[in-house]
Amino acid sequence: MSDLALAPRYNDAVVKKFVIATVFWAVVAFLVGVILASELAWPSVNLGLSFTNFGRLRPVHTSAAIFAFGGSALFGTSFYIVQRTCRVRLFGGEALANFIFWGYQFFIVMAALSYVMGFSQGQEYAEPEWHLDLWLTVVWVTYGVVFIGTVFKREEPHIYVANWFFMAFILTIAVLHIGNNLAVPVSLFTAKSYNVASGVQNAMIQWWYGHNAVGFFLTAGFLGMMYYFIPKASGRPVYSYRISIVHFWSLVFMYIWAGPHHLHWTALPDWTQTLGMAFSIMLWMPSWGGMINGIMTLSGAWDKLRTDPGLRFSVTAVGFYGMATFEGPVMSIRDVNALSHYTDWGIGHVHSGALGWVAFISFGALYYLVPVLWKREALYSKTLASWHFWTATLGIVFYITSMWVAGIMQGLMWRAYDSFGFLQYSFSESVSAVHPYYVIRMLGGVLFLAGMLIMVYNLIQTVRSPTTDKREAMPAGVALAGE
Amino acid sequence: MFIRHETIEKNAFLMLLLTLVVISIGGLVEVVPLFTIETTVEHVTGVRPYSPLESRGRDIYIREGCYNCHSQMIRALRDEVERYGHYSIAAESMYDHPFQWGSKRIGPDLARVGGKYSSDWHYAHMANAQSMVPESLMPHYAFLAETVLDTDDLVKRLKAQRMVGVPYSDEAIANALADLRTQADPAADNAALLKRYPKAVQVGRGDGPATELDALVAYLQVLGTMVDFADPANENLRQ
Amino acid sequence: MEVEAGDIVAGAMMLVFGLIGLVLASGATDNEMYVFGLSLAGFAAVFGVGLIRRHFDKAEAYARGEDWHV
Repeated sequence: MSDLALAPRYNDAVVKKFVIATVFWAVVAFLVGVILASELAWPSVNLGLSFTNFGRLRPVHTSAAIFAFGGSALFGTSFYIVQRTCRVRLFGGEALANFIFWGYQFFIVMAALSYVMGFSQGQEYAEPEWHLDLWLTVVWVTYGVVFIGTVFKREEPHIYVANWFFMAFILTIAVLHIGNNLAVPVSLFTAKSYNVASGVQNAMIQWWYGHNAVGFFLTAGFLGMMYYFIPKASGRPVYSYRISIVHFWSLVFMYIWAGPHHLHWTALPDWTQTLGMAFSIMLWMPSWGGMINGIMTLSGAWDKLRTDPGLRFSVTAVGFYGMATFEGPVMSIRDVNALSHYTDWGIGHVHSGALGWVAFISFGALYYLVPVLWKREALYSKTLASWHFWTATLGIVFYITSMWVAGIMQGLMWRAYDSFGFLQYSFSESVSAVHPYYVIRMLGGVLFLAGMLIMVYNLIQTVRSPTTDKREAMPAGVALAGE
Repeated sequence: MFIRHETIEKNAFLMLLLTLVVISIGGLVEVVPLFTIETTVEHVTGVRPYSPLESRGRDIYIREGCYNCHSQMIRALRDEVERYGHYSIAAESMYDHPFQWGSKRIGPDLARVGGKYSSDWHYAHMANAQSMVPESLMPHYAFLAETVLDTDDLVKRLKAQRMVGVPYSDEAIANALADLRTQADPAADNAALLKRYPKAVQVGRGDGPATELDALVAYLQVLGTMVDFADPANENLRQ
Repeated sequence: MEVEAGDIVAGAMMLVFGLIGLVLASGATDNEMYVFGLSLAGFAAVFGVGLIRRHFDKAEAYARGEDWHV
């Protein structure tokens, strides 16, 4: 029964695992987000326990959203895409691919556990202590070896555009992760370290890391996803090869410079702030290059938006990407930043990117991947997928608009002067003023989570539906040992 | 010298190399000069390493994720200076490994909270923030007052900070535990402590070993107080 | 049936991680390092068992003349 034609050409087992992890971590990330939003609306929700305090739980939310959900989606889709666009099986064999999966999940669980136990480096999005950083480095290097190794042994002469983005993402994240986490531990047996840089230099390195976690983890990687799934689902070629080239190189070049816009008006020298602002504004163009390339790929296939709910998610994601990458440059202008920084406007901006772009493009990929990977005819229910789409979109609208209002209100209240020339509002007045918007934000989060749960049900039912695959339909004795 | 993109696209090694070059430029240009340009960190008098108790308090500040809601960076804007005090200067966080400038003000800025409230206020506020500020969203940190501060690896912690550039003298490290105990006992003679760590505020009630809350309050009480902006020696703050 | 290079690399890594985990747990000065060390050792052990199991599954499939894939 050794029929090579029946043998799977690609390692899809690891992709399936990452797909399941993506769905699982999405639920966790959104759930913790809703809990945190509730804590901000009603502080007693934390029940007075040390490990449910906002300060310890917030890194769990950000890490679960960015690294667990986003990361698993990136690992899974990049492995799926690189095998198909290079037409070879993953380099390094099953054991290494499995190590990447389990090693990364181990990292996530240990990191989340360490935050609630009270271990943190105290740098946003880089909270894991030194031992976990080292572990992640091992996993990441293995990932790089497997992915790049696969590209090297490809049977296609050209490297497909999605893989340019994935390679830039893997390489840059490695550089950023190591650069930002250089620290001296208290001892080899103590989970506490002190970063080698301090003060202003540490701040610059942190936001060089922080903004490019956005630029390369949450943008370049997901653009790779866009460049595969939108053409695939719409059945149209990528709109412009030339735009791909121009926007790829300009995006990876300019993103790196944008970090200082997180430090406007601070003790960071003016020249650095100005550089950061200038490049952030210029970044608008390569970002929109990507958006145009993604959306225009649908030329001639727009009708598919009505019939393919996955594609609807992907295309809406690109729309949100365009919106967030316009808002970002605006907020990086120093005088806008004087108002927007430290307020909830920033939180709204991040979520229009995280929910609108990152989550939606991942949902689009998941709706495409699950029937394909599990060899099912189609999605269990398009109606449910539509429900997911509209609940989630409404959730985002609630979230973003409430945070715009809250953020601008905070910014205006903090700088308001009365007729005598004194500050008009105390800080605590600005806290109670935003309470209604914090409640609306929480409701937006609940809607987004509800949409996610609809998706979970839909995907489970899809997997449980009858297979179209001949091999699996064979009697048990003859079937090949599948995963 | 127009290179066809096809050449890069067909050569994975070349593509990786070019990507590496392209992503390195911005970071190098923005980060390296901050270490080499001498005026990046102002020359002011008064900035000193944290006392052992303050340093442990800072560890707890980081552990509890206070930076998620509080910034420690007063921007050079009129309203911020009026609300919080003199704008923050780079020198004030030169011994902060890591920096805690923050990015969001769910609560107010803390860069100059030192001396703004009494230590008693802080003890009451940390136990139940709403008892002092009804509108507050801050969680309760009563458990810090019930937890004895772990001082077993105090010396190792200071030495690790010395390795990354905080100038703790041998004398400071030899007296670390004594200094910590002195600062956590208002009745103790603090002459030696103040000589090593000027402006260190004694906290606690002296009724037992130092708690984590004592350390945190000591840290909060020194924030933003080190530099005396009225001192003519500190007049020229231009970078 | 040949053994893949990736299996050997992964096996060697697990050996090293298991030992590191045990050393970290035994010397740990705080909860986090203790939990991490033990978990790392556990991770390495379980992953190692998985490697062995898959190897034998594969060998048996070959013995039956079947092709084995994940």
